[in-house]
Amino acid sequence: MTESEIFDKFAQIVSRSLRIDVEQVKPDMQLTDLGAESLDLIEISMETEAQFHIFLPDKSILDTAVEVFGPNVLERDGYLTEEGKRLVLQRVPASDAVAFQGQVAVKDLQHYFLKVGTWVRMIQGLLRYTPAQCAGCGGAMTGSMGFRMKCIRCGQEITLRSGEEINREWVREYYQSEYQLQFGMPVAVHAVQ
Amino acid sequence: MDVMDFTSGHVPAGGSSRSLAGLAGARLQQQAAEAGSAGRTPELISGLWHTPVAALGQPGRLVCCRLDALPGEPEEVAGRILNESEQQFWQGMHAVDKRRREWLMGRAVAKDAVRVLLERHCGARLAAAEIEIAPDPYGRPRAEGAWVERLGVQPSVSISHSFGTAVAMAVLDAGQGVGIDLENVHQRRENFESIAFSGDERDLLSALESAIRQEWALRMWCAKESVGKALGRGLSAGMQAFHITGLEPANGLIHLELRAGALEQFPRLRGQTLAAHTLREGDFVFSACTYQQGAVRMRPSRQQIQDYLLQKMVELTQDWDYAEPVRPESKLFTELGFESLDAVVLCTAIQEHYQTPMPFAELLAEIGQQQRDLSINELTDFVNTHLSGPAADGATGRPQ
Repeated sequence: MTESEIFDKFAQIVSRSLRIDVEQVKPDMQLTDLGAESLDLIEISMETEAQFHIFLPDKSILDTAVEVFGPNVLERDGYLTEEGKRLVLQRVPASDAVAFQGQVAVKDLQHYFLKVGTWVRMIQGLLRYTPAQCAGCGGAMTGSMGFRMKCIRCGQEITLRSGEEINREWVREYYQSEYQLQFGMPVAVHAVQ
Repeated sequence: MDVMDFTSGHVPAGGSSRSLAGLAGARLQQQAAEAGSAGRTPELISGLWHTPVAALGQPGRLVCCRLDALPGEPEEVAGRILNESEQQFWQGMHAVDKRRREWLMGRAVAKDAVRVLLERHCGARLAAAEIEIAPDPYGRPRAEGAWVERLGVQPSVSISHSFGTAVAMAVLDAGQGVGIDLENVHQRRENFESIAFSGDERDLLSALESAIRQEWALRMWCAKESVGKALGRGLSAGMQAFHITGLEPANGLIHLELRAGALEQFPRLRGQTLAAHTLREGDFVFSACTYQQGAVRMRPSRQQIQDYLLQKMVELTQDWDYAEPVRPESKLFTELGFESLDAVVLCTAIQEHYQTPMPFAELLAEIGQQQRDLSINELTDFVNTHLSGPAADGATGRPQ
């Protein structure tokens, strides 16, 4: 699916859920600006997952990363540290990098993640983990109950990977590669063994 | 002068307001008199809503205001209550009408709640435009203005809106967090429980009588929201990070505990149960709670640090092949079989436990360069040093 196809489909979901004209949904607008309250965001998430066959993460990449990096490393007193900005910049398209210049508050990041365009790209990223074809017989896959996909030919079922799991894995790899970068060696001291 | 009072359950229809001489005004004046301040109460745009305050059992310290409809055209109300920088935001606000009205109503109730609070406790009568409601870096609303320095107080505020109604609750002490969340029961939601709640939480719901299940699903949602707001970071850590452990249908209490995600943000709340009060009034369900920021943690002794590390190590290695008991002399890599990610996990856990960044990266790089191992004893000394020295509130765990 192209970015514009994803946008069109997502805009439909948003317009139905919030009962607004689809023309009002623009990439640069935040879902809250379109009138979404907290439970609307839940509804939009559920509908997005069902229609795109993806499993959205339940928090931002920063919040996942804080679980790995520990407190006060990526964010301190509500502002991203240089380290925090570097992490976020790895995950946003180059065209959005300008939004992370200078002082960036946690709330600015929240606003960024509420933008329609950010959702569209998040969906696009997650779609890479949704197989179009059955690994076994090559048949087409269709959505099944929950976060499952089923082959329409041989009936084989797979469970989608959760966005949270994918994010966490990325953060762990990033954490290790950052240390490697800094010291020219892995965190591990396997040489000792 | 429009002052509405929702306590009696009688909500005046739009336009039919009562004057200060009426019931609500009398109540306001009585409160002002109780607080020892003489004179007229400032003109409120919204009405006092006592139900959440009464539910929290802290009358006097908390003020809650509610507004069911904008008392006039948005532009006119905005001109009346917003200060200059809020005006600028309002003019540049790129949002649908519903959101603009909601935002404006949110400002109105928040300003009113702060005004009543300041009059009651400081005897200061301020106009709505003198109180700026601005988000802190985490997005939590905060009351600001020239009076903050003059009066030496900065109230915490929480705002919620649902279905055209806005509410705000304010508390005087900035060290105390306050959270309120409101949902209309008629706003139909399809199965939001499946994404908002875990299996355990849905089991709690299933155990309730079917007639009240839907309402309690909303109460549970509100409870999570209000706790997130009171702590100041909302539900950014994810809904599963606010785990509901018990419901008390008899009194509306919902018990929660923090899990991974939120615990990193609030390590002091590990093992603590938080309580949110929930109530249904008319078509609305709401939850309210307050949170007093914890006292300063005592610095642990070297022995306590060692005990913690030994216990943590036993936890980490329990499924591994290592058969010997873990001792202070045990070496992480050659004896306990640590690998890179295990060291990262351990370092993260230690920093999180003591809520203090420590230069672990330097330590690991150094032992990498020296090609040597690390004993639990040495790790204990390392933690002990960095907890006691000035580095305790120092920079991140990375040398720059």
